[in-house]
Amino acid sequence: MTEAQRLRLVLPPRPQAELLAGAAVESLGRRIGFSRDTLAEVKLAVVEACLNALEYGGGQVEVELSGFPGRRPWLEVVVVDHGPGFAPDAVPTPSLETVLHAERKRGWGLELMRHLMDEVEITSAPGCTRVRMTRREGGR
Amino acid sequence: MTVDTFELGVAYRDGRLAVIEVAGYINNEAGEAIAATARRLVEEGHRTLLFDLEATRIINSIGISLLLEVLEMLLEAGGVLAFCSLSPSIAKTFQIMGLSQYARIYESRTAALAALTPSP
Repeated sequence: MTEAQRLRLVLPPRPQAELLAGAAVESLGRRIGFSRDTLAEVKLAVVEACLNALEYGGGQVEVELSGFPGRRPWLEVVVVDHGPGFAPDAVPTPSLETVLHAERKRGWGLELMRHLMDEVEITSAPGCTRVRMTRREGGR
Repeated sequence: MTVDTFELGVAYRDGRLAVIEVAGYINNEAGEAIAATARRLVEEGHRTLLFDLEATRIINSIGISLLLEVLEMLLEAGGVLAFCSLSPSIAKTFQIMGLSQYARIYESRTAALAALTPSP
């Protein structure tokens, strides 16, 4: 098997819809030969991307997965929402020192995605936010 | 689709120590249930809370933020937050956050209990 494997799904704006994307990652990742540990990390990154898209996009979220088998298989994930958009560079990097004793303890999603995936690219404008992430087996 | 059903139970309590077993997906609802259980245990006088995550495979960032509330509560009470039996991806998540500076992390429940239970 050397052909790319592709999956496309549309998540409804419902609680735990992000787990559908996680399950799709698991299924496609297994087919292209990802290890259990790599799969778990990619699954978490995709869950985070979808959570953000569902929360801030305010509607359906499109997810496209492309898996490339081979000696070092890799996976590309694209998550798209149609919300108001945001400025990715303006999102502060969280740290435990600042978060402890602060009212707001959230804001870890982007940080986790950047550490768990090899590449994270975000383009955002009103009406379309697109997060593209890649991860190779054995990466990070 | 895998069903990541959340379950929570206090498996052991003895003096200052309580062990909480957590299974399934830790999201906002699960995190709130964990925080409520932790609050109750601290009110009962427990100061060391050990979370056994052997049956947990994924914690999202909202669940993480609620675990940080538990950490804050324990730090204010002069207590200790501990975790054991982490999957590699959860261990990596905690490492990315720098949580090991504030919480104790053990490979197994046996190792955690040996370290956290005072010698007679």
